[in-house]
Amino acid sequence: MGIALYEVRFHGRGGQGAVMAAQTLAEAAVIEGMHAQAFPYFGAERRGAPVTAFARIDERKISIKSQVYEPDLLVVLDETLLDVEPVARGLKADGRAVINTRRLPTEIDLGVEVECATVPATTIAMEHLKAPIVNTAILGAVVRMCALVSMESMREAIESRFGEKFGEAAARTNVAAAAMAYQQAAVGRCKGERPLSSREEWLPTWQEVPIGVALGEGVKGGVTVGPGGARRNLTGSWRVQTPRYDKGKCVRCLRCWFSCPEGCIKREEDDYVRWDLNYCKGCGICAQVCPAKAIAIIKGGQG
Amino acid sequence: MSVKVISGDHAVAYAAKLARTEVVPAFPITPQTLIVERLAEFINDGELDADFIPADSEHSAMSIAIGASAGGVRAFTATSSQGLALMHEMLYAVPQCRLPIVMANVNRSLGAAAGIWVEHNDSMAERDSGWLQVYVEDNQEALDATLMAFRLAEDRRVLLPVMVCLDGFILSHTVERVEVPGQEEVDRFLPRFEPCTVLDPAEPKLINPIVPPEYAMEMRYQLDRAVDRSREVIAEVDAGFGKAFGRSYGGLLDTYRLEDADFALLTLGTATGLARAAVDELRSEGKRAGLIKLRFMRPFPFQGLREKAEGLKALGVLDRSVSFNGGGPVYTEVAAALCNVPTIVTGHVAGIGGRDIAPDHMREMFALVERAARGERVRPVTWHGLRGEME
Amino acid sequence: MSEMGTIKDMPANDMFVSGHGACPGCGMAVAVKNIMRILGADTTVYVPASCLVVISAMYPTSSFRTPFLFTAFENTGAVTTGIRAAQRRRGLRSTVVGLAGDGGTFDIGLQALSGAAERNEDILYVCLDNEGFMNTGIQRSGATPFGAWTTTTPVGKKVEGKREFKKDIMAIVAAHDPPYAASLSIAHYNDFIKKVEKAKSKQGFRFLHVLTPCVPGWRSDSSMTVEIARLAVETGMWTLYEVEDGNARTTYKPKAMLPVTDYLKLQGRFRHMEDADIAQLQEWLCAKWYLHYGDEIEQPVCAMLEKGKRMRYPHEEQLHFV
Ligand SMILES: Cc1ncc(C[n+]2csc(CCOP(=O)(O)OP(=O)(O)O)c2C)c(N)n1
Ligand code: SF4
Ligand SMILES: [Mg+2]
Repeated sequence: MGIALYEVRFHGRGGQGAVMAAQTLAEAAVIEGMHAQAFPYFGAERRGAPVTAFARIDERKISIKSQVYEPDLLVVLDETLLDVEPVARGLKADGRAVINTRRLPTEIDLGVEVECATVPATTIAMEHLKAPIVNTAILGAVVRMCALVSMESMREAIESRFGEKFGEAAARTNVAAAAMAYQQAAVGRCKGERPLSSREEWLPTWQEVPIGVALGEGVKGGVTVGPGGARRNLTGSWRVQTPRYDKGKCVRCLRCWFSCPEGCIKREEDDYVRWDLNYCKGCGICAQVCPAKAIAIIKGGQG
Repeated sequence: MSVKVISGDHAVAYAAKLARTEVVPAFPITPQTLIVERLAEFINDGELDADFIPADSEHSAMSIAIGASAGGVRAFTATSSQGLALMHEMLYAVPQCRLPIVMANVNRSLGAAAGIWVEHNDSMAERDSGWLQVYVEDNQEALDATLMAFRLAEDRRVLLPVMVCLDGFILSHTVERVEVPGQEEVDRFLPRFEPCTVLDPAEPKLINPIVPPEYAMEMRYQLDRAVDRSREVIAEVDAGFGKAFGRSYGGLLDTYRLEDADFALLTLGTATGLARAAVDELRSEGKRAGLIKLRFMRPFPFQGLREKAEGLKALGVLDRSVSFNGGGPVYTEVAAALCNVPTIVTGHVAGIGGRDIAPDHMREMFALVERAARGERVRPVTWHGLRGEME
Repeated sequence: MSEMGTIKDMPANDMFVSGHGACPGCGMAVAVKNIMRILGADTTVYVPASCLVVISAMYPTSSFRTPFLFTAFENTGAVTTGIRAAQRRRGLRSTVVGLAGDGGTFDIGLQALSGAAERNEDILYVCLDNEGFMNTGIQRSGATPFGAWTTTTPVGKKVEGKREFKKDIMAIVAAHDPPYAASLSIAHYNDFIKKVEKAKSKQGFRFLHVLTPCVPGWRSDSSMTVEIARLAVETGMWTLYEVEDGNARTTYKPKAMLPVTDYLKLQGRFRHMEDADIAQLQEWLCAKWYLHYGDEIEQPVCAMLEKGKRMRYPHEEQLHFV
């Protein structure tokens, strides 16, 4: 199939395999005789943090190495990201989207109204891989959404990339996940209502940057900066499971308060505790260390 | 003021003492050792109130200096060659953090086919680190330049580290007559250090976290401008020093008998003295020879050079270092500075690995430059004192 | 301040705030948060290249409410030396703390650490030991235990995981005879608090070595971080002790040694280990156990290992446990 330059942007969270998804798509395109590239946004993101990856596909050799600003296709591996950052920014008006969600396209507000495929990739991944690594499942839906590459090439690409790294069995289960996603994907049009403003940022000119790579506590351009300024990162958006506290059972030992890596468990005057869910990443340590079983971990980020 | 007969290293040590340096982390390396040994004596004799910190390496010495400077005190260290190379990683943190550390580098050859003798490759390799670099001609200038370095580094318009480079052995271990200023005079010239950013829990500052692409470029340009703007302050400090002590050095560069010269040589470090003598000789023969003494390699005097080169038919550039297959680093920079003026620029490599630059070599250089000035074709770069025909 | 001994005595004021970017369940974040609570506001922090700097200090913000500096990987002992010298000259009493990873301590930073310890600099050096270069994507370090998978000790057809045993950094530091050195676990709360408090109150070179499980690096479940740290102590993989003015003292003794497999089975990095390798690790552990806790009580786990008891622990001569 002949195509002009086609650009794809993947949004996921560290650990979900967004980069591997981009690479696999690129490999599938190469199998079809096209030129392709895939690369991550070179950040330092840890597990759970939002990450971005890119892929480009073209009939001819691709010389551009910059990031993708106006994608033809948007792939969202984690639907909660829609509320965290303007993922659809720059998406072409005639672009397409693939989203990991249980909902139907018409129920999704992407911020740009485009052709869209939705697929419950997490459920599929749990079933086939026993882990929420959704990258192969989402690729099945990508093939379904836009006939960029055939399912046959995608299967070959998955076998090659995953088989090489994790062995034959992994290749097989990942192919199965992709095939099931291809079947289950729902195609329709999503909504374009939410505003795609990015979060406020302080972007000083060279004259404005304080000298010495040094900052005191303060607010710059509407943004808290300096020591302690990291509080503006609401890492609670990473959460996929949520603690539930039963105060009646709490023995006020404060082990959870000590053990929480986020410092999001707050200690009250009387040594009972409360959670600041703005920061809770849902690691589950609190429930594990509680000697009174006063904390339960329930599925889902909203708790 | 007192007159002493001291080595270049000791001249530097006196300057660091007169500057009331507060923290001196150091690691020994020939030919720098005399500096830190003398400072250790000053401190142990109670003549200087400072912390002498015997670091476990030059990398650590610079790291300690960084901590001390960020902690808000005046820090001084000294090194040479391999030691400077070991510091390389840490050198780059200093200018961007705007820490006004002063360091003496006693130039010495680096790597293999090297020994303890003078060559400029060690400091030339750090010319893009953001440090200001001054090269000195004699022991008096070593002392004066070190004192000026503190004033320059700590000036609020500059806030950059300064490296004072002196030729190993030729200065470091040679004694000369040096006027050592009195403490009160120096105190008047060099005010107390008022740090700009300090690690102090009373007013917490975040200094040098990871800087993502959204910010780094602006910071780098800001540093670029700071290095460039330091030119004015260098001129000011030099003039101020002249007023206070009766000696000044021309700032970024100095000239000798250049006014009506047809051709000239550009030198830095101790070769300058020899070149002065050569110019006198040529002048006595009626030849219109002149000299440009480059003092600062950073900031580089692009504009000053263009002004001085006006009227010159040819300018030879002496390098005591090699930029392999391109002559020397000073030559390439001078050639870049003069690319739009008609002056012919020739490169001259000499004194490599500590080989003495003899008066004959100097005559040979001037002779070549003179031929270039007459319109003869000469090699772009010539090695002087080399056995065997050049290729 | 009254002496702290329990969680309840700890200040509730966070100096290492929420909003950092560590992985969910990061053990290092648990350690740093509590160390900073105890050290309090009058502290100056240096962090070398490591996970910690990336997750806590990205321009224009940081998670530390105290003064903070970063410059490089291998110079924690040196930069903190300089900061402390300057602060002392300026009449500040602030605790200068270096928070370094195991790579930045055991390996590339060992020289600067040794220099600072030998000069008895008045600094607190904390080694956050997650047993590998995690920031660069889980490579082995001198702290990685025997058998463990890392990306540079892959489980291959010929060689399975790391072949060398963990370097004994505490013994190396103790050989410098510092005023205080202690090993800590995030699962032994009161012991942890007492040691940080003690380190804070002393002068001169102080060293704290904290085991900080790493979720992706150890291939463990995010909720099990503290439990893994606890099992490390119960199996002898980690020993809680302190060396104070030359005297070594174990601060917590498990009732009975649990087999190392209890520890290994919670971590994917050991999943491939075969019986022979596990036995070799167990043998090493038994020697270490008897060294620290004495050999009057034969541990059933070790009784099966003939050689175990007789093997001498390499630093036995240097460290005298009381
Ligand atoms: C001189 C140098 N070499 C290599 C690196 C790359 N590097 C940065 S952090 C790191 C690993 C840090 O490991 P560790 O100290 O154990 O800290 P962790 O990230 O595991 O917490 C490496 C190798 C560097 N920054 N500087
Ligand atoms: S990689 Fe490990 S040490 Fe680094 S942030 Fe994640 S859990 Fe913590
Ligand atoms: Mg580590």
